[in-house]
Parts: sequence; C-alpha cells; structure tokens
Amino acid sequence: MKRWGSRLPCLFVWGIAVAAHAGSLTIKTIDNRGHPVSDAVVTIDRANSPTTASTHYIDQKSETFIPYVEVMHPGDSVVFRNSDNTRHHVYSFSPIGAFQFILSPGESSSPVVLNRTGIIALGCNIHDHMIAYLVVTTDQAQVTTQQGQARFDDLPAGHYTVKVWHPQLWPGHPLASSDVDVPPEGAAPELPFTLRLMPDPRSVVDREHLDY
Amino acid sequence: MKKHRLCSIIAVWGVATSLHAQDFVLHAYIDERLVAAPDDTSWTRGGFGKTRYGDGKTQFHFGGAAVYGAAQITPELLALAQLQDQTSGHSGLSLLEGWMRYRPVSTTPWRWSVRAGAFFPPVSMENDGVGWTSPWTLSSSAINTWVGEELRAVGGEFVLEHRGELTDWDVRAAVFRRDDPSGTILAMRGWSIGDLVSGIGSRLREPDAPVSAEGGTPPRYYDPFRNIGTSHWGDYAAVDWHAPSETRVSLVYYDNHADPGATAPYANGDQQSAWRTRFWSVGARTDTDAITWIAQAMDGDTTVEPIEDLYRRTHYRAAFVLAGWNRGAWRPALRIEHFSTRKPSNDPDVHKGENGNAVTAALNWRPRDYLRFTAEVLRIDSTATVRAQYGLPEHVIDTQVQVSVRVLY
Repeated sequence: MKRWGSRLPCLFVWGIAVAAHAGSLTIKTIDNRGHPVSDAVVTIDRANSPTTASTHYIDQKSETFIPYVEVMHPGDSVVFRNSDNTRHHVYSFSPIGAFQFILSPGESSSPVVLNRTGIIALGCNIHDHMIAYLVVTTDQAQVTTQQGQARFDDLPAGHYTVKVWHPQLWPGHPLASSDVDVPPEGAAPELPFTLRLMPDPRSVVDREHLDY
Repeated sequence: MKKHRLCSIIAVWGVATSLHAQDFVLHAYIDERLVAAPDDTSWTRGGFGKTRYGDGKTQFHFGGAAVYGAAQITPELLALAQLQDQTSGHSGLSLLEGWMRYRPVSTTPWRWSVRAGAFFPPVSMENDGVGWTSPWTLSSSAINTWVGEELRAVGGEFVLEHRGELTDWDVRAAVFRRDDPSGTILAMRGWSIGDLVSGIGSRLREPDAPVSAEGGTPPRYYDPFRNIGTSHWGDYAAVDWHAPSETRVSLVYYDNHADPGATAPYANGDQQSAWRTRFWSVGARTDTDAITWIAQAMDGDTTVEPIEDLYRRTHYRAAFVLAGWNRGAWRPALRIEHFSTRKPSNDPDVHKGENGNAVTAALNWRPRDYLRFTAEVLRIDSTATVRAQYGLPEHVIDTQVQVSVRVLY
C-alpha cells in the first residue's frame, strides 16, 4: 500500500501531462443539401491501438440490418442476430469474408472472425432489399452519427490525414480526404466533408411496390 | 352487385388477416371509384372504345380487389400467388399469377434461380403493386394493359444474376404454354388503356361488331390463356441491368411459337384461332431526385392463317414515358404515350390499322399507409380504320375521369 501511495501522485501528474498534450478532432459529414450524413466511415492515418479483439453484433429488425455500417478491426468477430419474426438468410460473397447463415426468429449466428481488411457487403437471400456493410480496417475509424459527426479523442498533437467512405458514394470519385493539424491541447476546428451520395439502396417494401 | 362486392371485401380481408404468420407475407387492396366515362362504348362492353369505362355515364364502380400472398416455405423456396376479383369485363375471382421459385444462396457474385407456374413475362416497369396494379396511375399504359390482358407464361423460367460492386445484371429465359391466343385482341380491336387484368380462368370479350358481321351472336368471349393446335412451347428471353438510383434497363424478346393455322373449338361451336405473336420490348426506369422516370417501347407482330397460305399479319407498336413526382403523401404522375397497329393491304393507298396518342395525368394522395385517393384524367386521341368499317367515326377523342379510393393492406 505504501508503494502505491507513493506512486499515485506520479501517475496523476503523468496523466495530466498526457492530457495536456492530447487533442480531439471532430468530423462533420453533410450531403449536397447540407443535411447530415450518417453511416460514413471516417478513418485517420493512425493505427488502431492494439486491444483485445472484440465481438460486433449485427441485428435484423423489420427486415433491416442494424447498423447499416459497422467498423471492425482485423481479428474482431461479428455475430448476426435475428430479432424479426421471420427467417433471414444472411450472406456475403466478399473475397475477404464469404459466409452464410440461416437464422430463425430469435436466433444468433456463430461468431465470424474477420482477419483481412476491406469492405464486406452483406445481404439476405430471402429479402433482397436488406443490405449492410462491414468495414475492416487497421486504422482508427469511427462511423458518423445521425448528426453526421465522428469524434476522435485523446489524439497526440500532429498532422493527420482524414478519409471518409460511405456506401452510397458515387463510383469513380476519389475517396474524400483532407489533412488536419491536431493541436497539443483542445480541439481542432471541426472538419467538414460534403459527400455526393447515391440514393439509399435499402428500399422499403411497400404495399404499392412489392419486392418479388 | 352490392352483395357480390360485400362478399369480395369479406373474402379479401378474411384471407389477409387470417394467414398473417411467420414467413407469410400478405397484402391486399380494394378499390371503389367514381367514373365519368366517355360515350364511346368500352372494349369491356363489346365496343371499340379504348377506355375501361365507356357508356357516357358518371357513376360509381367497383374498381377491383386482389390478394397477394407469398410464403417462404424454406430459405430457398418461395411460393407466391395473386388472386383478384373484378366485376367489369371478365367478372369474378381469378388467379393472376401463381408460381414457386427455388433460389439457393450463393457466396459468389453469381446467383441462379428457377421458377415454375403461371407468371407475367417481365415486360412491365409500371405494375409492381398488389394485383399487378400501378402505383403511379389507375390506368396502365397501352403496352401493359395488353400484357395484363393477354400475356401469361405457364411454364418455367431460369434466371442467372451477376452481382457487381456497383451494378447488377441478370439474364432470364423461359419456356411456356397456354399463351396461343395472345395477339388476338390487338388484331381485332387494337390497343386499349385501362387496369383490367385477365386472370387464369377469366374471359376476354371480342368486339361485338365483327362477331355480328360473321353471323355470330354477341357477346362472345374467349379464353386468352389456352393451348391451340399441336403441342409446342413458347419462349422469351430477357436481359436486365440494374444500377444505383433505382436505375434499370430491360430488353425482352417474346415468341409464343403458336401455329397460326391451328384452331380449337370454343363457345357456340365456333373455332378459336392461334395467333403467332412475337415482340421486342425495351424498358428503362431511373430516379432523378424526387422524380421517377419510366419509359417502355414495344414492337411486334401477330399472325393468323384463317385459310391455308392466307396469312393476316398485324404489326403493332407502342411507347410511353411516365414521370412520377414523389412528394411524400402526394404523388402526381404524368404519362404520354403513342400506339399504332398496321395491317398490310392489297391496295397500297389504303391504310388499315390504327394510331393514337394518350395522355394520363394522375394525382395520388396517400394520407395513411393503408389509404390512397387518386384522381386521374385520361385522354386518348385515336384513329382506327376498323371503326369506319363498322359505321363508326374513324377518329375519336375519349376522355375518362376517375376518382378512386383504395384501401391497402
């Protein structure tokens, strides 16, 4: 106890010192009309701190994958859960992760470990309008919220390259990218990205537009 | 009539509510409308009028009802059926389509499927609602009115899809039977514009004037979905390309391979002829912001051989462009189309056939998910030599106004 007692002030001082040299960065994504864009993946050119592999959950509710976009890191696993009262047949034909699961209501799949980086498109073989994406990256990454924001905290001061990807970006356009300096203290100015997006491919089955 | 309508309402809603369960999808609609009809007698009443209603009256009509049911029997096997009830033209309950599809999952970009049963050839870009209705207008285009009346494939279809990173495409091929009379109505009456779809088991009415001229007694009906002559298969092939923004381009070639000299007995001891019918159809749709654009074109011919080596051929063409504005609960739509038929004549100075243009303007209002009101004005300007042949004016302008209330399940 005595030893810890003597070290605690040191740790406290070290923590303050680190905090004093850590900044934050907020990215804002909007569309052509100025509306916030959610589900954009924002990456910065710093490797994700190695942590233990985590498990991600993709739910299926009202014939929709939730979330639409999920960020993962190599070694992480994903579990698919069916919260609908109908069967789903989740699949991917991505070269970095091909799999398929038939899920009855209430059922969850076994975990799928993803070791390679890239983007995996998910579908349901029963309901073609269900689409989602897994983005596997070694970089630090965040998905923008409903307000179109992604925030990185505790960043060491320095020069960063920020890239933004969205599943509805028009093809043939380079990935949105921008450089920013994060100050030793406080927050860098909010970094805005304007994305030109294609319409949402997740069509909702309507009584007037049957999907069969 | 009221009793019949009440029964159909009860039947539609009864089936729709009782079968709702896991892996079953049920949808339905029922439609009542006020119609101001043109004077020109409608094809549904044995005339040459091109609108569904044509008696010069303004009155309420039962627009129709249908139930759509799809059961996912296994993850690979889907069964789908659509039943409708109609009281104008070919009355009663009938099966619009009924088929089963086997589609195994694929963990490669390629996916295949087969389906068997009775289904619509993949021509229409408009009719994706319950009962093969259009969400844009009450009346389908001339092309899709004909597809709904006389085209149904009873057979099997194979589909191969390729799913790319950005665009998908598929090719499909089908063989079918029971579509030998297709083309009859285009040759006898010409194009029409409406929302009366034939079901398996329903009958189509021939125009009264030619029936009388042949010494027959109208009304005379025929089964549009039957085999005539020696056993044979018709076929169609289609290529479909899908891109973002709900963009689709489709090309279809259809040939029923009917023997134009074949006949089969039908009502009153008459003989029903087979019509060799074939066509090319191209369609496209895309969204630009809130506007949905749909365009289709069709070019084909149908041939009958009433006497050996005497071939009577009718060429037919039609095209339309539709723009629908998706404004939430409000959805205005405008469609402009052109149609024609042409029959070769011995006299080069004599033109036989028809040509016409139509404009359809509809305003849809859907205040609730289950409720849709539609006001539609349809104006058809057409010239048809067949009308003059039977003492009617060759050139006619028909205007039909409809206000409909549709309940959707």
